Amino acid sequence: MSDRDWNDPRLEEALPPVADDGGPRPPRLPARIEDIPAHAPIDDTCFLGARKMPTPIGLPEAVQRIKNWIRARSLWVMAYGTGCGSIELRPLATARYDMERFGIVMRPTPRQSNVLIVSGYLAVKSLKRVVRSYEQMPSPKWLVGLGSCTINGGMYWDSYNTINRLDLYLPVDIYIAGCMPRPEALLAGFDRLMKLIDRGEANGWHHYLENLDWYKANQRKLFDDGDMPDYNW
Amino acid sequence: MKTILAELETRFGATGARFQRDDLASIDLPADRAVPAVTWLKEHTPFVQLNHMSVVDWIEDGQFQVTWLVTDPRGCRSIMVNTRIDRERATCDSVADLWPQAVTYEQEINEMFGIDFPGSPRMGVPFILEGWKDMPPMRRDFDTVKYVAEHHPHRPGRKHHDPRTYVGERFGEKGYLHD
Amino acid sequence: MDILVRAAVAVVVVLGAILYGLLVQGVIRKVMARIQGRIGPPVWQPVYDLFKLLFLRTAIWHGVMFWLGPVFRAAGGIGLFLLIPVVVGNPWLENFSFTGDLLMAMYFLFFGSLGMALGAAEAGHPHSPIGISRGLVQMTAFELPFSLAVVALVARTGSFSIIEIVRAQQGSVWDWNLFANPFASAAAFLAFLGMNMYSPFNIVGAPQEIPVGPPTEYHSSFLSMMAAGRSIFAVAKMVLYMDLFLGGATSLLEAIVKTFLVYFWSVFVGAVFPRFRTEQSVRFFLGWPTVFGAAGVALVLFAR
Repeated sequence: MSDRDWNDPRLEEALPPVADDGGPRPPRLPARIEDIPAHAPIDDTCFLGARKMPTPIGLPEAVQRIKNWIRARSLWVMAYGTGCGSIELRPLATARYDMERFGIVMRPTPRQSNVLIVSGYLAVKSLKRVVRSYEQMPSPKWLVGLGSCTINGGMYWDSYNTINRLDLYLPVDIYIAGCMPRPEALLAGFDRLMKLIDRGEANGWHHYLENLDWYKANQRKLFDDGDMPDYNW
Repeated sequence: MKTILAELETRFGATGARFQRDDLASIDLPADRAVPAVTWLKEHTPFVQLNHMSVVDWIEDGQFQVTWLVTDPRGCRSIMVNTRIDRERATCDSVADLWPQAVTYEQEINEMFGIDFPGSPRMGVPFILEGWKDMPPMRRDFDTVKYVAEHHPHRPGRKHHDPRTYVGERFGEKGYLHD
Repeated sequence: MDILVRAAVAVVVVLGAILYGLLVQGVIRKVMARIQGRIGPPVWQPVYDLFKLLFLRTAIWHGVMFWLGPVFRAAGGIGLFLLIPVVVGNPWLENFSFTGDLLMAMYFLFFGSLGMALGAAEAGHPHSPIGISRGLVQMTAFELPFSLAVVALVARTGSFSIIEIVRAQQGSVWDWNLFANPFASAAAFLAFLGMNMYSPFNIVGAPQEIPVGPPTEYHSSFLSMMAAGRSIFAVAKMVLYMDLFLGGATSLLEAIVKTFLVYFWSVFVGAVFPRFRTEQSVRFFLGWPTVFGAAGVALVLFAR
């Protein structure tokens, strides 16, 4: 691996067609309620920008805000360490960086969790299981991409078995960059996620439901042995 | 250990005995005598434990080198038993009946290099790769970069830097941030 | 009082008890965190958790019994709570204790867990029946010392009515059953540890053993109902023990202090003990606690 050519031009050759804002993006959705905008990635910095979803018809704004406020103060994370980034989750749970003071606890089953942390690289085999776990979680749910491997492949960018961009297969609400990010960075990320939930802007789950075909097409291209995970609503 | 290596030379026609360390020796064997030699080592010498099993791809010679690392746990010494097999028709005898853990090693080697071990229980059963249709990926003629460019798209805007020159450009000669 | 007014008062009291139970759990989480050198969540955290669960969508459904499981548990808890007087002498907080008695309270104690066991068995998850079998085995084990303690108390008072038992303890602190019959109290308080399923008897729902045991498949509204049921059960047990062993309460403040002390006993033990396996806990309950219970009965029979 030491003879890897870092300026290999083939890396730029076979990229999928680039959209005008710089990346493959989900299709524009036909608006069922007119002012629901498309979920557009803004730029390549840490956070996936999201536009606020309007409140559903019939529920006053105040109720929605109370609901979001409570959801943000009680985040249950699924205790699933998908990659090496999850060693930073253990110090986060112990006495020094105590995440329980924010109401964040680890739950062992996807049925009882709200946040799935994809901590690090995802082999194709793990991605299939992560997709299945994500679909088993009840909505509203959030996905945190931890580490550089979820952003652009990180250390394993040239591995035949790991994916390079997580948001082609699952909707990511927040990325936390680093390899791997320290617990303080994780707490900053959770703080930002809680603010996004308060404002009603973290709607990755909604985007997944609405653009299911696009996500499933990407997943099918990856799991091309035809063994797709059954959808678990 | 020298006596055991000498025995291997006389009994099985081994060649190239060399010592990498005081407790680690290496020896080469012809393909049809390799597994009998390993069996003899297990049955009649203190080298009873299979520590590791690995493969080296000598693509220039058109051969795979299969290595069994057998250990003497009481004497804390090891022998690397090497053999060369043909790259096109890659089969090798299995040691699964000697050590049960060899089944996993042989399964992995079968998946990553495409070497067949007739008689080993889990040949062809996928280990890490699911739905893999390409050539076995650890072979040196498998082009990882091309495969990644086709299957795992990068995020646009990605730049590549050679770490050796980049560190020098960013952080100066000393290689770390300094005033 | 008019039955409708009493019913409305009972609803308010039940909701207040659920809130009190959640607050007690919050305080305990804070205390445990401080023991472990952390800051810990705010004391309102279990209330946030319960409401967050209500605001989740339901992901999956496993049939009618699955839905009824948390309902049974909550019904058991509410039934138990309404049959026990919280504050004796206060018509608002005496609940419906004139109709109930100790046998019915014991029945409701186990009815809730059995109902939840039936519901969780429907969940289709392989870990739920394992958790349930462990829980029911433990429950069978601690039933023995608890029943012996109850027999001792009833023999002393001569009546199954909880209000009579409370009235028999008025007088001075030394009339409390805790001091009048220490063996029965020891048996019952050791059984209380098993009842709360707190460490060292928390193998039923330990996340490291099986993913939370019986409530594995329960989520969103089901889980919020179970959280409310657990809270009301905890409060009912605390109040029951306060009435049986600590002399009941004649004012609300006294009730709060005494119930908190009763609950804190299990936290006090649980914070420092690791977990028992199921067979170890069964062997424990059939050992010294049963001996204490038998001694309590003997004390009453031969001290007359």
